[in-house]
Amino acid sequence: MTPPRTILIIDDEVQIRRLLRLTLEGAGWAVKECAAGAVGLIEAAHQRPDVIILDLGLPEMDGLEVLRRLREWSSVPVLVLSVRDDETDKVAALDLGADDYLTKPFGAAELLARIRAIQRRILETVEEPIFRTGKLEVDLAARRVMVAGEEVRLTATEYALLHLLIKHAGKVVTQKKLLRDVWGPNSEEQSQYLRVYFTHLRKKVDPEGTGLIRTEPRIGYRLMTG
Amino acid sequence: MQADPTRPDPDALLAALRDAEPSSRGRLKVFLGMCPGVGKTYAMLCEAQRALHANGDVVVGVVETHGRAETSALIEGLEVIPRRKIEYGGTVLEEMDIDAVLARRPSLVLVDELAHTNAPGSRHPKRCQDVQELIEAGIHVFTTVNIQHLESQIDLVRQITGIHVREAVPDSVLDGANEIELVDLTPGALRERLADGKVYFGQRAEAAAANFFIEENLTALREMALRYTTERVNRDVQTQWRGPRGRVPKTNERLLVAVGPSPHSENLIRWTRRAATRLQCPWMAVSVETGREESATSSERVTQHLSLARRLGAETLTVGGTSVFNGILRAAKEHHATQIVVGKPDLRHWWQRLMAAWRLNSLVSASDDADVHMVRVPDSSEKTQPRNMSSHRVAKAVSTIEREMTEAAAAVAMTTLVGLWIMPHIGYQSIAMLYLLAVVFMALRLSRWPMLVTAALSAATWDFLFIPPRFTFYVAKVQDGMMLGMLFLVALVAGQMTSRLREQERLVRERERRTASLQRFTETLALAHEPHAAVGEALMQIENVIGAEAALFRRTNSAELAAEQAAGGRLHPDAKERAVAAWVYQQKQPAGHNTDTLPNAVATWFPLRTAAMTAGVLGVRPVPDRTLTLDERTLLNSLCSQLAIALEKEHFLAAIQQAELTEQSNRLHKTLLDSVSHELKTPLAILRTACESLQASATPQNVELIGEVAQANQRLQRVVDQLLDLTRLESGLLKPKLEWCDVRELCETATSSARLDSKRLHWHMDETLPFIKTDPAMLETALSNLLHNASAHSPPYTRIECNVAIVGGTLSFAVRDHGHGLPSGDEARIFEKFYRAPNAPAGGLGLGLSIVRGLARALNGNVEAANATEGAGAIFQLSLPVDTMTEVPDAMP
Repeated sequence: MTPPRTILIIDDEVQIRRLLRLTLEGAGWAVKECAAGAVGLIEAAHQRPDVIILDLGLPEMDGLEVLRRLREWSSVPVLVLSVRDDETDKVAALDLGADDYLTKPFGAAELLARIRAIQRRILETVEEPIFRTGKLEVDLAARRVMVAGEEVRLTATEYALLHLLIKHAGKVVTQKKLLRDVWGPNSEEQSQYLRVYFTHLRKKVDPEGTGLIRTEPRIGYRLMTG
Repeated sequence: MQADPTRPDPDALLAALRDAEPSSRGRLKVFLGMCPGVGKTYAMLCEAQRALHANGDVVVGVVETHGRAETSALIEGLEVIPRRKIEYGGTVLEEMDIDAVLARRPSLVLVDELAHTNAPGSRHPKRCQDVQELIEAGIHVFTTVNIQHLESQIDLVRQITGIHVREAVPDSVLDGANEIELVDLTPGALRERLADGKVYFGQRAEAAAANFFIEENLTALREMALRYTTERVNRDVQTQWRGPRGRVPKTNERLLVAVGPSPHSENLIRWTRRAATRLQCPWMAVSVETGREESATSSERVTQHLSLARRLGAETLTVGGTSVFNGILRAAKEHHATQIVVGKPDLRHWWQRLMAAWRLNSLVSASDDADVHMVRVPDSSEKTQPRNMSSHRVAKAVSTIEREMTEAAAAVAMTTLVGLWIMPHIGYQSIAMLYLLAVVFMALRLSRWPMLVTAALSAATWDFLFIPPRFTFYVAKVQDGMMLGMLFLVALVAGQMTSRLREQERLVRERERRTASLQRFTETLALAHEPHAAVGEALMQIENVIGAEAALFRRTNSAELAAEQAAGGRLHPDAKERAVAAWVYQQKQPAGHNTDTLPNAVATWFPLRTAAMTAGVLGVRPVPDRTLTLDERTLLNSLCSQLAIALEKEHFLAAIQQAELTEQSNRLHKTLLDSVSHELKTPLAILRTACESLQASATPQNVELIGEVAQANQRLQRVVDQLLDLTRLESGLLKPKLEWCDVRELCETATSSARLDSKRLHWHMDETLPFIKTDPAMLETALSNLLHNASAHSPPYTRIECNVAIVGGTLSFAVRDHGHGLPSGDEARIFEKFYRAPNAPAGGLGLGLSIVRGLARALNGNVEAANATEGAGAIFQLSLPVDTMTEVPDAMP
């Protein structure tokens, strides 16, 4: 049996830490906690956790600053917790290298799903040639898209967007990243492109409207898995 | 001096800008005729009728029908603004009521007889100024004018017809006209009309025709009218052909006319104006201040001439210089004049000819590559009488000369007495030195003419009383003759030199005084600790320097003129004066005493203008009553701009302080909101997560209990969200961040966040809705609050319908429930904070709808509620103006 995977929680709220510990230990994780950013960085270096949960609203050293320093030497998956409704902080965190975010209040199921998703990057170092979720099936090698067994024709741009979402399945992909990767660095401000293309893409890959591709307002898009 | 052909002319650029402005200014159309009786009013009324039939809003400001039936018939159907009655000198005069026209705000107003002079007591002395104000106010104007009333044509008319026209219209008014229509009639036809009595009334026609309507006059006037129109058409063609930049003068010429106190200056100014029109170039009128003592009358006349030039469209300028020619040349160089216009001098006497030849020679040789025009002035027999000669001033000048003459005689007499006493000791020749001493001393006190008298008197007395043979004017010895000549010459030169020195000194002193007072003024304004005290102090200084009473009205924070005058001035204006001040503030130009606008006011009012705003209005009334000199006006202008800048600075400082305060309170508010939000939401988050974890492993008895906890938590969550939303809305911190959104997607997220049973909800929307530009988070919150409200106020399992449509740039959501409907009479109150309908189910704070309204307003939209017309239930309609996009932009790959 493999040793339990470790998760590091950096949050100043005792109750949140205790709650996260209970939920995560129930799901089979080994949990370490710290209350401050500076200590969290040292812990991250010593313990080498598999996942870090980071609160953005930390006293003294701000969560964004912790993330910036962490990313100087580590690529460990980071899930950011935030109570603020301010999207700019979330986007800033994602731009700094956070893998996903979760807004309080959140449910346990949602938390575990997010953690699973950000971990997947590590597990699936080799992309599987066939990606499946719900009724969608994409053959990445042959660039073929099937919905409920029927083949669907996508334009090159639509496929590029879908491919990007599949590579980060379950995680949010920021508008900026989508625009930069698909249209090039000069199009980062043209978020209306995305609106148009995602509408077309949704009609093609999710004709019944099951919410396969979720819009995170002002932040980006997420391909739902499982 | 080389004029750079590519140099953009700022005036032309400004003019082009003015023309390019889509302009809130009204358009001016002028019906131009050669003389009365050609049918200008008739033509104007015909045009007005056409405008009326094209559904124009046309009113008659003033139209003189002269009792002609066919003209009166044309007024039928037009709204006539009643004229204002002004009582003057026992008779009642009727004038156009400009305030009534401004209040009525028609799109087009007819104003006959542009050259008319208003009755004293009207706002403006001239009707053409009324017209200007109407245009400024954005009202289109039709007007009529005869060619002989044009300022630039007046002396031509006089030369041709011998009639001196008194009512003149500045050419700038016609230059600013958008259209000029020539109403033409041959002289023969006009005389026929006259004979038929169609012009004026019966008998008067005969008299008028005999004096004025002779064939030659009419032909000449007709030619002038035609020529004027041609020139104008020519200019229009060029402007249109060259596009907006065509206003840049074609020739790159710049005319400069020298203006002095002589009445001929008026002719020179009109001549230059005509030349400038032909050359289509800018021109300027320059007067030179030499520092020589000038009578008040002549400086008043210079001021009048300059204002005539301004009215004719010139740039006016006063320069300083040791002589008139010097000043003109310097101005010509500094302002790149290419042609200099001077008057042809009076050449009746040989010495005049000599002086003229010498001066013109030096002018021509020093003017480099500028052309010099010498313009003939009419015979001096035609000289207009010097105007406004104030008798006490003349008396004062005469008394000064008399006093100086007496002094001169006394000095010579004293010297003679001393000379007679000491002659036996030193001999008669040395006495000449005594006289010389006296002359030089007197030169320090006397002016030119008394000096000349002193010199002559000294020489004569010495000759008569001292040179042998004594008591005759006969001079026996040659060296005595030489001494005599030299005494006279030295006395003359010394006198001239000292007197010139004194004049220069006076000029320097004057300038120093001006500079010093300006400096003191600036320091007062800059160094004062208490701004209000500084303004009072500054007003006192203005009063002292000018010798006047002053009053200041400041601009309030709401960009209006304060009702109360600022503390400090000694002038206490009455309601009438305040009205003048208000007008000045609005129109941003001086008015009142001694100006062209509202000249009946007691004080002269100046706007305190800076580049950014009008900071207030300054009223000045000289004590005792007199006309301000050019010097004083210049000084006053500098003081005004200093004061304006100081007031502006003060205003901006206050604005900055206000902004800082707001910023600070906003920051505090945001910090508070953030921490409260954190403190409330964290425990809720913990509760929710804990409940979910518990539910997964609960025993059957506990499941229900945990469900209750979860539900209570959800309710608390909603209340907290609503309170925070409302606080953010009310604090003004919530600013929409617009981005392109998909309406369908918005509806889906709103449904899920309203936690609504999707089976109850029925959407009605087009298959293909365009993308809209809005703040998705705000719109989603508003929509989800509406949906939640609908579900909370209707029985479970009833339908909730939502109609989505985009019509004419307005996005609307109509949410209909099948509940009890709105309590009647309370439709407006339901959007109030904490309002709860009488039949509402328990729970909820009554904040949802007020949040919806707040959000809708923040997005420039609105929300309304009404009961459904068919069946039970209420309809809530949320509508927002939005930009839409149906197609993918072209730039997109």
